[in-house]
Amino acid sequence: MTNLPLWFIPLFPLLGTILLATIAVVSSGSKKGPSEGFVGALSVLFPVLSFLSVVLLAFGMPEEGVRQTLCNWIDIPMLKVDIGFLFDGLSRVMLLFVTGIGSLIALYSIGYMHGDRGFTRFFAYINLFLFSMVVLVLSDSLLLTFLGWEGVGLCSYLLIGFWNHDLNNCKAANKAFIVNRVGDIGFLLGMLCLATLGGSAILNYDALNKFIEMLIAGGHVDLAAPILMIAGLLFFVGCTGKSAQIPLLTWLPDAMAGPTPVSALIHAATMVTSGVYLLARLSRMFSVIPEALVIILIVGMLTAFWAAVAGLFQNDIKKVLAYSTISQLGYMFMAAGAFAFDASIFHVFTHAFFKAALFLGAGAVIHSLAGEQDMRRMGGLIKKTPITACVMIFSFLAIIGFPGFAGFWSKDLILERIYTNAPYGEFFYGAGLLTAVITAVYMGRLIIMTFFGEYRGSKESEEHIHEAPASMLIPMVVLAFGAVFAGYLWADSMGIKFFEHTLAPVVGDAQNYLLGKLDVVHVNPMTFACFGTAAAVLGMIIAYVVYGLKRQPRLHAKWGSAPEGFKADWTFFFDYIHEIFIIMTKVAAFVVDMIVDKILQGIQWTVGSIVEIVGDGVSSFQVRKVRVQLTLSLVGVVALVAVVLLTGGLF
Amino acid sequence: MLLHLLVLAPFAAAILMMATSKEDPKSSSRLAFLFGFTFVALSISLIAAGNQATEAIEWFRIPGAKGPVYYYLYSHGLGAWMVFLSTGLSLVALITGRNTFENNYRNFAIAIFALMGAMNGTFLAADAVLFFFFFEAMVFPAAVLIAGFGGADRKKAAMTFAIYTLVGSAPMMVALWYLLTVADNSLVLSLAVAIQNLEPSMQVTLLVCFLLAFLVKTPLFPFHGWQAITYAEAPAPLSAILTGAMSKAGVFGFIAWILPIFPLSMEIVDSMLWLGLFTAIYGSLMALRATDGKKLLAYSSMGHLGLAVAGVFSLSESMLPAVLVLLVAHGLSAGAQFYLMGIAERFAGTRNIEQLGGLSARNTVFSSLFGFVAVLSLAVPGTAGFVGEFTVLMSLWDMGPLPALAAGLCLILSAAYVLRFVQKVIFGKPARDYEDGKRMTALEGSSIGIMGVLLLVFGMHPAFITNALQLFDETAVQEMNKVTHQSDVATDATVEASADSLGDAVVDENIAAVAQPMTEDDLRQLDSNLKANGFTDEERASLIAQLKSMSESEVADAENATEFNEATVNEEASKHE
Repeated sequence: MTNLPLWFIPLFPLLGTILLATIAVVSSGSKKGPSEGFVGALSVLFPVLSFLSVVLLAFGMPEEGVRQTLCNWIDIPMLKVDIGFLFDGLSRVMLLFVTGIGSLIALYSIGYMHGDRGFTRFFAYINLFLFSMVVLVLSDSLLLTFLGWEGVGLCSYLLIGFWNHDLNNCKAANKAFIVNRVGDIGFLLGMLCLATLGGSAILNYDALNKFIEMLIAGGHVDLAAPILMIAGLLFFVGCTGKSAQIPLLTWLPDAMAGPTPVSALIHAATMVTSGVYLLARLSRMFSVIPEALVIILIVGMLTAFWAAVAGLFQNDIKKVLAYSTISQLGYMFMAAGAFAFDASIFHVFTHAFFKAALFLGAGAVIHSLAGEQDMRRMGGLIKKTPITACVMIFSFLAIIGFPGFAGFWSKDLILERIYTNAPYGEFFYGAGLLTAVITAVYMGRLIIMTFFGEYRGSKESEEHIHEAPASMLIPMVVLAFGAVFAGYLWADSMGIKFFEHTLAPVVGDAQNYLLGKLDVVHVNPMTFACFGTAAAVLGMIIAYVVYGLKRQPRLHAKWGSAPEGFKADWTFFFDYIHEIFIIMTKVAAFVVDMIVDKILQGIQWTVGSIVEIVGDGVSSFQVRKVRVQLTLSLVGVVALVAVVLLTGGLF
Repeated sequence: MLLHLLVLAPFAAAILMMATSKEDPKSSSRLAFLFGFTFVALSISLIAAGNQATEAIEWFRIPGAKGPVYYYLYSHGLGAWMVFLSTGLSLVALITGRNTFENNYRNFAIAIFALMGAMNGTFLAADAVLFFFFFEAMVFPAAVLIAGFGGADRKKAAMTFAIYTLVGSAPMMVALWYLLTVADNSLVLSLAVAIQNLEPSMQVTLLVCFLLAFLVKTPLFPFHGWQAITYAEAPAPLSAILTGAMSKAGVFGFIAWILPIFPLSMEIVDSMLWLGLFTAIYGSLMALRATDGKKLLAYSSMGHLGLAVAGVFSLSESMLPAVLVLLVAHGLSAGAQFYLMGIAERFAGTRNIEQLGGLSARNTVFSSLFGFVAVLSLAVPGTAGFVGEFTVLMSLWDMGPLPALAAGLCLILSAAYVLRFVQKVIFGKPARDYEDGKRMTALEGSSIGIMGVLLLVFGMHPAFITNALQLFDETAVQEMNKVTHQSDVATDATVEASADSLGDAVVDENIAAVAQPMTEDDLRQLDSNLKANGFTDEERASLIAQLKSMSESEVADAENATEFNEATVNEEASKHE
């Protein structure tokens, strides 16, 4: 079965999209809507088929990967691009968890979206998202990746604004799309930059890698480096947009306006990690511009730290998780900046499990509390919803890096690589460790406020609290299982390096090239493991002391969940900066509309009325019929032409 | 024959429509649909048939001119696609008009057919005077339609539109007249020759006269005064035609008349490029603030067409296919948006977007289509708009990073205003109470839906459009020469002249897909790129040598590559026949 064509993988979700969209449009007129069971079965079927084809292909994949060209896409003099797919170690890992987690979350959504008016539409979007994401990951050229890249952005927009009768959701969706567009322009210009260097042909990944090899072999790296540097930074701008890094990160917390399964799938597990994927994909190019990697390292560190602190200040359970996602993405970028592309992808992989499980758990909590998202109105839920609580606690242990859980292996690896590879590694290692402590604090706060203590909501709502249905619990349990065990694919201190070998054909060259220039410091890995564990435990103790010991006050029913005062300033710092640009645009638009355009209109009507007066024009005739007016204007034109001709005779 | 039919038959159809009853829209609409479908079919076969020309028939002589004026039609890829837009959009206009103008449908159809004939003539004329005739003739049916079927302020709009555009092209008429007194006849080649022999200052004067006409028609800043009010007050189906097909006459004029005829100095090219970009940003900013839905769309058209004009004057080798794809994409998406806005206005009774809202709950199918088309106009990859804008951006990047950045800014702004538009129209809650008007009919919905699907098809396979493109190839030049009966010496000069300005754009340079062994052309291309990036000669030489050795080692296992190269060689050979 290894000769399964690669285009089967994106085909299934695409079929699902078309089918479900048709059902959604056709049934929109009827009151009752199509049967939820039928639609739900369809919408899980296509992602599962896609997942199965990935699994089949994954087992038979040769080491160097599978390359298939489907057909020609654009063919004009300056730009020749094919639709081609590349299935190698990197895309295999990404596809496995994208389609796998996608199927699980589709299953979960059947329960979560039960009874919603847009049930079918929701699943059409989810399938469209999976299609775009698969194309993003599977494509063999930057341009086709860009198709998926904007495609996932579009789906993100559609799903954030899914409940579109509330304009706040629409605004969050618009913000997400526009901020992402800014990043996308970086991506676009990056492609153009590369194309000026080696023609549109090097938009293909293989060709790009070969091009870089040639530069290295011929010793021309220094000459091409300035342009590659610009291209690399432009691509990184694209990554900051999609993966919510400083400065384009404001959209992700707002994106929590969407349904929770969407937050789990798109804004935690898959789409937001595509920036990390792109860096790994372009690792060969980045290997010759280590200066860009330093910038990535710094941005990653700042983002990780800033978002972790912001996570401390949130009251909305989904917002905490959103900032936690940003912070974890910061870790991944730090890893990429420290030449450890394989470690960053490994963290993408483990993060996908535990963060998706956390979000689904949060979704189950919100579901059981009938839409309540403020953690200050929760508490003591471990007795009412034990399975959800267990899932969340396991994922919590994974995210803080508790020994043995998935996050422990990946985060430890990242911190180790930062220490050994990066310039001023000690400093960045310290920052990473500090962030790890804060992570444990805010996640501990989330767990304590949600599941322990006493219930702080209203009395009548307490009776309705119930455990989620099985269709929601099964995916959560599967993901929690992943959150515990996914890390053992690369347990460095136990000698298991399966994951590293998988990715070696893709990112190995780049990493070896970069590391070849360094004297790698050798430190006993057990030291890092001890420090990491200490950070996690310290964070948990702080969280317990601060939030666990004293009783949480009950809240006034009308209070919002937004942070206030200094906390708000910290949280919305980058929103303020964006606001400056928005105001600048608005001022420009105002000037254009109210001043420039008015002046132009003034000139126009002045000229018009002068002509009217001089020609004793249309107004004095008081004609009613347009035809006559037109004839008159024609006569006027002829007169004008005659005048011009007479003067024109003087040429 | 096809050409004659496309230009003359719409007028005949307009006359035939007079025979139908004014009181019975049912029968007249049937006839109109029939004609509309026929013309669309004809235009598709025109695209399929490739370049062709009619016999040049002597039409009349202008006093003072050296040669006669011909009735001479010539179709190339660009013109054929514009004709497709004109017929296609007219058909959809006839369909949506059926439900909007119950009483006076017959007259509506007559004017639409007359407009279609004039537009087709503009896009197919090979003779400058004939072109100018149709270029002016377009204005009248459009003005009549605005005055007869428009909104509250229709009279003022019609007057503004007619006078502005007619006055705008008056200098061109004078310039053309002057040119005819020195040229042998009014075909492109002889005009180009005639221009060569004039003084530079005179050349610039004539060029400015020509440019002005097209600047007004497109329109570019600062000659856009007529556009917003016209598009807003015109009936929505007409607005769609105006923006989708008629405004293209301006861009078409730049490509098909300005570039081949006039020797362009760098200053002119640069200033036109920046004018285009400035218009694009200006239009986008205006669209951000517009509250009238149709005005918003008008400004968004201005933004896209400004980008197209900037693309034209980037004069890169891929300019022509890039701009053509952009024009077709914009014609379809902007047209569809205008139709939908018209239907929204019919349904909710207003086109002020602050007063709309909540349509997604009240009229779901309509809103799905509205959102779908809006997404298509955002130039998301996979749609024709993306192919057009990306390739134009690529051409602009050739001119330097600054134009490309400006164009990138437009893309961001376009996302901002389109999303605002969508949000205000279909999302949220209705801003006021109103009685539901007439809903979108199945025929309307499916015809607009087909436009959307076409955008997707062209986005995934733009070769449909770009393959049709051979503007003024050698055969065309020869045919024009036959008409002109010039001496051989003059012929060579003209061929060169036209090749200088335009031929370059059409030359297909062979860039092989990269995973395949590199050809000589590739190496040359790479060499020039490296040179531009400051590599010294030795470094380039050694790099190229390595490249060669690497690619030779690969030749063995690359069957596809040879096939590919053969294909391109054949393609080139056929082009240079």
